[in-house]
Amino acid sequence: MQAAKREIAVSMSDISKRFGPVRALENASLEIERGSILGLVGQNGAGKSTIIKVLAGIIRPDSGTIVINGETVPSLSPASVEKLGVHFIHQDRLLVPTATVGEAVFLGHEIGFRPFVNRRAMERKAADLLQRFFGMELPAGTLVKDLTTAQQKVVQITRALAQKASVLVLDEPTAALVKREADSLFDVLRRLRDDGIAVVFISHYMQEIEKLCDRVTVMRNGTDVGTVDPRETSIDEIISMMIARDVGEMFPKRSVTPGAPVLEVTNLRLGGGFENIGFNVRAGEIVGLTGLLGSGAKEIVQCLFGLKTADGGSIKVEGKQLALSTPVKAVRDGIAMLPEDRRAHGVALGLSVRENISLASLRRYSKSGLVSRGSENQAVDGLIKELSIKTPHRDALVRELSGGNQQKVAIAKWLSCQSRVYVLDEPTVAVDVGAKVEIYNLLNRLAGEGAAILLLSSDLLELVGVCDRVLVVYRGRLAGTFSGPSINSDALLAASSGARSNADGVAA
Amino acid sequence: MSVSANPNTAKVSLRAFLAKYSVLIAFAAIVIFFAVASPTFLTPANLFNVLVNNVVMLAIVALGLTIVISSGGIDLSVGVSVDMASMVFVMLLAAGYSGVVGVGGGLGAALIVGILNAILITRLNISPFLATLGVLFIGQSTQQLATSGGQPIYLTSGYASDQFKAIARTALFGVPTPVIVLVILAIAVHVLLHRSVFGRYVQAMGAQPGVAWYSGIRVPRELSMVHVLCALLAGVTGILLSATVKSYVPLSGNAFLLDAIGATFIGTTLSRERKPSVIGTLLGVLLLAIVKNGLLLVGWNFYWQQVGIGVLVFLVLAVSFGLRRATH
Repeated sequence: MQAAKREIAVSMSDISKRFGPVRALENASLEIERGSILGLVGQNGAGKSTIIKVLAGIIRPDSGTIVINGETVPSLSPASVEKLGVHFIHQDRLLVPTATVGEAVFLGHEIGFRPFVNRRAMERKAADLLQRFFGMELPAGTLVKDLTTAQQKVVQITRALAQKASVLVLDEPTAALVKREADSLFDVLRRLRDDGIAVVFISHYMQEIEKLCDRVTVMRNGTDVGTVDPRETSIDEIISMMIARDVGEMFPKRSVTPGAPVLEVTNLRLGGGFENIGFNVRAGEIVGLTGLLGSGAKEIVQCLFGLKTADGGSIKVEGKQLALSTPVKAVRDGIAMLPEDRRAHGVALGLSVRENISLASLRRYSKSGLVSRGSENQAVDGLIKELSIKTPHRDALVRELSGGNQQKVAIAKWLSCQSRVYVLDEPTVAVDVGAKVEIYNLLNRLAGEGAAILLLSSDLLELVGVCDRVLVVYRGRLAGTFSGPSINSDALLAASSGARSNADGVAA
Repeated sequence: MSVSANPNTAKVSLRAFLAKYSVLIAFAAIVIFFAVASPTFLTPANLFNVLVNNVVMLAIVALGLTIVISSGGIDLSVGVSVDMASMVFVMLLAAGYSGVVGVGGGLGAALIVGILNAILITRLNISPFLATLGVLFIGQSTQQLATSGGQPIYLTSGYASDQFKAIARTALFGVPTPVIVLVILAIAVHVLLHRSVFGRYVQAMGAQPGVAWYSGIRVPRELSMVHVLCALLAGVTGILLSATVKSYVPLSGNAFLLDAIGATFIGTTLSRERKPSVIGTLLGVLLLAIVKNGLLLVGWNFYWQQVGIGVLVFLVLAVSFGLRRATH
């Protein structure tokens, strides 16, 4: 890197954005240099994706200025941003799977005499570009769905280059890539940098940031807390910049002496997901589980609820061996699941609070197949009061409730079932701070009543604040177990991003 | 919907009222219109005719579809269930079997259609639309193959059919027997759909299948039950149809499909969440039957009746949904 000529491609300053009571961005600034790779790091909710969405024209900021190529742009839309040469490679593949490579590269900018497209010219030009930039040869007419994930990323980048991109923003591009593919993607990005393109690279993998980036901007609580050179600043220092120390009153205190093991998992294995996973959760204990996207942590939780069937190993609840092939069996065996996608799996928005709460336990409120409204109403009213669910009445539609209250309805459903094991998958995502605290209180109470709780979360502060023990999964294996005072965000982040290798030498 | 104290309040609540009761209002308006336009419309003989010939059979098919549509699915093969039950019933009677065997055989044939749908949908994971469309095609061809290209089968006197013809035409305490059958089935389906555990599961699957699955509901089993019940109800209609006309006419069941779907969706305008309900469906069926009968009495020919019904469906749905959007 020649530090001599610093050309700023994009400068965002004092960007603020509120969503209702939540401050997503607070005077955040970001500077993107030409011919340089900028890493953007921060915890979930730190504001990384919000500031990128502001730049992409998807979110309109409340205040702040954006300068692109020396010109102040008053307002942005996804189309106008692309015209200015700023392109985004989003985390999920945004390619039409049944399109050919040529169609994908020129999507929205088809070659040909309207309304016709010259398919052959598009294939030829796409092949030229792929060859020229990446030395990649694909048979003519290859379909997008037949490409590997890495190749699809390259096709997306090619699409941006075909439209003369000068700034390229990649949101977690390596999440679904194996190491070799990631390495070849890095080579591509370095070449683009050397050609003078400004690259922004968002990743949770600290090693990748260290290996690839020229500068790193760290975000925390909606603002940028500093920009450093990763060759001069250690990963540990960057991590400590990412984590706020003041946890405060967010996490209610509790003291519980754990009882006998309720959930026992031994040697659990899922092909392509994880292997050799063993742990137990005792009565009254809250155990955290964390890992990056693709680490296998999610799949462990899915196996515990019968959404996926493990290839080997055993799951026991209160000493009883379970064969979990469907959620039907998991529910019957006393396992409750709070799914991450609340709207698709947690609560039925079009049903009433009452219907949602009693859904998993209707047999308890029915006689010979008919629902007894009296006992159902009584139980539902009790739970609404107990969890202080804010709803006009028990027959109000769940759609009309706030996110936090919807989540409480989802929890009430399992309380009504008297489940023994609670598996929670990111329970506080898209829930406001006040409701978060209520949910933490609820977890504490459940644990106090002897339930075993497994909390899958990527919010490290939450894990530190709530859990008695935290298991970290890295690339399909348990990379570390932390308990009591040894649970701290630095250690969790380090273990989950593979920065601190363990005795097994799992980390790359 | 919160209503603040301003001059618009009256307008808003009137709109809400119109939106909620658009089917009932349309119903009343249409009855009044035909009563004025045709002197024979309100006569007991005509009302009996409407009820027995136009309402009962369609309503029973529509009850089945109400269950299926509540579960978030569709059954395009109800006509096949009607026909299969009708065909087997008539064939058995024509071969000299007793009425009980005939009814059992007819319902058995409908059951097979329902099980086939259930297997396609829950085992092979084919969408209800495509699965039942396939069964519709297969069922139509099967009938043509079994009746040398679609020849009707007539029941001559002397068979057990006379009893059935009698049943179709008699009355109990002044109420026609088919109407009693309908009332019993409607109450049963109402209780099943709105009061039973099974009904709750059906509603949950219809509202959000993922939530049903994540709540430990045996979705494939319940969904199979839904399709079997729908086919059985259509089978009842098939038997009533054959008993009334003393014959089996291939492919005649298809006439029920679109009317039954239409009636069910007209009925959804009664609920705030646009959910199908037994009462709504029955009102929808009555509405369609009265319009058909009324247009016939005022002298419109068959083709114009179809146009009239189409316009009516548009009007009811558009007014109901349009007003509702305005009130939100």
